Amino acid sequence: MTDTAHSTDLDLQVNRRGFLKGCTIVAAALGISEAMIPKLVEAATSAQRPPVIWLHFQECTGCTESLLRASHPDIGRLILEIISLDYHETVMAAAGHQAEKSLHDTLDKYAGKFLCVVEGGIPTKDKGIYCKIAGRTAVDILAEVAPKAAAIIAIGSCATFGGIQAAAPNPTGSKGVRDLVSGTPVINIPGCPPNPISFLGTVLHYLTFNRLPVTDNLGRPLFAYGRRIHDHCERRAHFDEGRFAEQFGDFGHRNGYCLYKLGCKGPETFSNCPSARFNDVDVWPVSVGHGCIGCTEPNFWDTMTPFYERLPNVKIPGIGGTTVDTAGKTILGVAAAAVGIHAAIGIGKKVIKGCGCKGEKKES
Amino acid sequence: MIYEKHYVWSILLRLYHWSLVISIVTLAVTGFYINSPWTQTTLEGTGLYPILAMRNIHGLAGYLFTAAIMVRLFLLLFGNRHERILDMLPVTSRNIKNVSTTLCSYSYQHDCHDEERLGHNVVAGIIYILTIVIALFQMASGFYLRLPENVFWQKWGVTLFGTQQHARFIHHSLMWYFIIFAFIHIYLVIWNDLRNPDGITSSIFTGNKFRPRSIK
Repeated sequence: MTDTAHSTDLDLQVNRRGFLKGCTIVAAALGISEAMIPKLVEAATSAQRPPVIWLHFQECTGCTESLLRASHPDIGRLILEIISLDYHETVMAAAGHQAEKSLHDTLDKYAGKFLCVVEGGIPTKDKGIYCKIAGRTAVDILAEVAPKAAAIIAIGSCATFGGIQAAAPNPTGSKGVRDLVSGTPVINIPGCPPNPISFLGTVLHYLTFNRLPVTDNLGRPLFAYGRRIHDHCERRAHFDEGRFAEQFGDFGHRNGYCLYKLGCKGPETFSNCPSARFNDVDVWPVSVGHGCIGCTEPNFWDTMTPFYERLPNVKIPGIGGTTVDTAGKTILGVAAAAVGIHAAIGIGKKVIKGCGCKGEKKES
Repeated sequence: MIYEKHYVWSILLRLYHWSLVISIVTLAVTGFYINSPWTQTTLEGTGLYPILAMRNIHGLAGYLFTAAIMVRLFLLLFGNRHERILDMLPVTSRNIKNVSTTLCSYSYQHDCHDEERLGHNVVAGIIYILTIVIALFQMASGFYLRLPENVFWQKWGVTLFGTQQHARFIHHSLMWYFIIFAFIHIYLVIWNDLRNPDGITSSIFTGNKFRPRSIK
């Protein structure tokens, strides 16, 4: 692979050695045998490039931004040699009616054969008016494209689980693809943004085996989302040995200790971040000193917040948010007060000692 | 007054009870520690693994807790007549009546017409069944957190609780149920022991309760 991290030009001239190396890296990320690499190379160099339609809905284009920084293979090789990216609002040259024509040509010509990639949540409230492209709502576009696709890859937390738009109170009724599409296989590549390795691995898996990789219950491929971050984090030894950063910038933080007490959600989050890392410079959030925020998990804006606390707050109507432990201590206090009053009444009525006992009553 | 001895609690039930006591205390202490470790290992390479040790003890206590609950479930169906589920829930006219007499007695009313009852009173019975149900959820969330990559627990964990974060939140919240339960349980045992000479406290050690011979 060419040195993309340090060159200033987008170099599309990948030599054979670099290309094979890229395929091998993807094979390793997918966890498939090295005997399969030739098949992967064959799939990636096949003359018939599978058409891909990339739909953008409620999103920030961060997932595309992340993909632009992919290197195994890089974006140029992906869209020029491996797939045929027929419709992608950010990188396509066409615009306006020309772009829409390209979309519909692909839909007609390759019905049942093309891959559909969805980026962004789909607003469903008020007939979906909160996201419109070429005068049509996201719901309509998805309903037209999805049944004709061979498979759908939902990229990013918005397309998979609704993302930030779906955070309470979810004003636009944003939903993920799997909530709206049935009949077409959907695979989820969540993350904010997801690692391009996870996305490209899924694409190459599909091209090689003609089916989607094995997933967990939330539709995430196991090769990338099969393991908890905490269980293969480079700071895990500090956790086991009880060395923690207590605050940002303290001794523990400067020495790379575990970020558990700063609310790191690694123990609750499934992703390959610690092993795949990002952007060819071998970093990921925890490696640079910030805890995981759990962005690959459903509704992480609601469930993983507060980001710097271990557990979500208990919401009591009229009072607001409090921690579980405060709530627990309060209830225990109320119980103790009740017990105290109960015992006091008993003593006051002089029934606890001396009488009230059937046996003794009969004796007296 | 002559009292006669009645064998009420089988050895299996007493083992269940004390296993549950040991496991709940251990689980709560280690659980608080794991959630918010209050120690800081200042030196590196000392070979001290406090978090790992606490997690191991927590896991061990969790298996003891699971075994205890399994035993109780068995006794609910196949235990002696005082231990079975039908003696604990208000499903017979005798048991329904016992709910009101128990509440009557607990609120210091006179003339409650207490019937002699060797097993649990039905108010306690209802709470114990509720506790076992909550314990099952506690176990399920615990296994889901402990064995995140296990296919079975992943499927059921996501179905029952949602993400790991949901499960952790529920697991932590339900712990407070057990703490509050234990507190009220101990108070009511002492209260009953002061009030009635049937030997309720010693019965969980010896299995025997006492009642006057005249009453059949």
